[in-house]
Amino acid sequence: MPEKKPLARSQPTNNLSRKFKVWVHHQQQAIDFSLKRLWFNPISAWITLIAIALALSLPTSMHVLVKNLQSLTHNNQSVPTISLFLKPKVTEQQANDLAELVKSQPEVLSTIVVTRDQALQDFKKIAGLADTLKTLGENPLPNIVVITPKMSDLGVTDADLQDFTKRLKTYKEVEDVQIDIEWIQRLRAILQIAERIVAVVAALLATTVLLVVGNTIRLDIENRKDEIRVTRLIGATNRYIRRPFLYGGLWLGLFGGFLSLLVVNIALLFLVDPVNKLSMLYGSDFNLGGIDLTTTLEVLAISASLGLIGAWLAVNRYLWESEIIND
Amino acid sequence: MTTKTIIEFRQVHKRYPTGQLALYNVNLTIRAGEMLFITGNSGAGKSTLLKLIALLENPSKGDVLIDGTPLSYLQARQIPNYRRRIGFIFQDPHLLYDRNVFDNVAMPLLISGMPPTDINRRVNAALDKVGLGKKTKSYPLMLSAGERQRVGIARAVVNRPTMILADEPTGNLDPELAQDIMHTFAQFNDIGVTVLIASHDHGLVERMQKRIIVLQRVEL
Repeated sequence: MPEKKPLARSQPTNNLSRKFKVWVHHQQQAIDFSLKRLWFNPISAWITLIAIALALSLPTSMHVLVKNLQSLTHNNQSVPTISLFLKPKVTEQQANDLAELVKSQPEVLSTIVVTRDQALQDFKKIAGLADTLKTLGENPLPNIVVITPKMSDLGVTDADLQDFTKRLKTYKEVEDVQIDIEWIQRLRAILQIAERIVAVVAALLATTVLLVVGNTIRLDIENRKDEIRVTRLIGATNRYIRRPFLYGGLWLGLFGGFLSLLVVNIALLFLVDPVNKLSMLYGSDFNLGGIDLTTTLEVLAISASLGLIGAWLAVNRYLWESEIIND
Repeated sequence: MTTKTIIEFRQVHKRYPTGQLALYNVNLTIRAGEMLFITGNSGAGKSTLLKLIALLENPSKGDVLIDGTPLSYLQARQIPNYRRRIGFIFQDPHLLYDRNVFDNVAMPLLISGMPPTDINRRVNAALDKVGLGKKTKSYPLMLSAGERQRVGIARAVVNRPTMILADEPTGNLDPELAQDIMHTFAQFNDIGVTVLIASHDHGLVERMQKRIIVLQRVEL
């Protein structure tokens, strides 16, 4: 005779290590099962993965792009400079003297003189310009004094800047003053907008990923309705039924994230050469930055969570609908 | 034979949402370790009675008590645990066709999180008991109807349930096989398992010489 047992057979709750073992067995089963499902349904799995990868690669690549442009405004290499274009009659000696004079001012960190000959040589290096310069005969370039200001002493407002510019203009050798700071400020403003756009696009495409995963899992549930019925009948908890689907969503998100990183990295490889060429033309040692470790981990974490959430929504909706089964 | 009551129906009515009245005022007491047949014409409510015990349906009125406790007291999250006490066998065994015999039978044990070595032992023992010890690697589609039914039985008993509920378990089988399966049930009953079998096969039921409950179709 079976001994008297409580209505619901009590689980071995008194033994924590046994409970933990059960938990581990359940996780192993679910991981094993969900990976097998992916492996044995390669077509649907790949379609979903590619959809996720494409949806994620757009915001990721935009993010990388914006970050790169931001590095232009942050890096030491591109501390804003002020160029004094000198009048054509000013000699090299006079230019050097002026540079010394300007340097003695408190707002100035350093000055460099770019002579017209040097400038011409630089221009000749640039493809296409050499021939154009030849047709001009005489060197049309002026001597230039390039000033690197001390941002701390100069102040940050436009008014401060304009003050300083006005003073520079008063030197009789100076023809024109050009400030590189302006474009940096504009770029910063543009990048702020770009960041917002990236955020919006990311949110939209994250929703897409959520829906794609949710729908894939929903179809998977649809295909396995019989199995869910049977497992329920033999005592499966909702948690047990849910688990393999959640892992399924997690894998889709995670592998989709991997794939999107691959796509973005390949796209960046295509860009490295032309970007380096361009930055060389601007005399910058700017290098196109790839996806760093933090971003990589962020993308993976976000995509995995999206997969998990998408699966969660799909499974819970089903479980909620089918609380009572009618055979 | 113990006199302890395991299952009790108290004035149980069941009306389906379609308006069909399946059970009308059923009062029934089943002792632990009893083997019992439920017969009656189709539509008399045999399946419904079993489903009420397994909580696949809820009564419209009245109570089903297990070990003296009404099932309506069970909370939703306790139901899975309660169902693990029951081995349910259908006329169609509801096997999973993408898994082999072993994996089908192992399912209840996987659900309860048993370690793989124990699962191996238990599943093989259950399959031996129903005479399918050599077919563990076969897939359900490769088996005959009788063999599939026996896989269903192995799956129902592998978790050592205290109750076996069988709904027309021999409906699809030839008489000899049906007799065989009934004897398998009797063997489980011998080791103390309470067995409830719904069947319309009067001849077979009579031969088993157990208590018989006859349900009559409700005419209202």
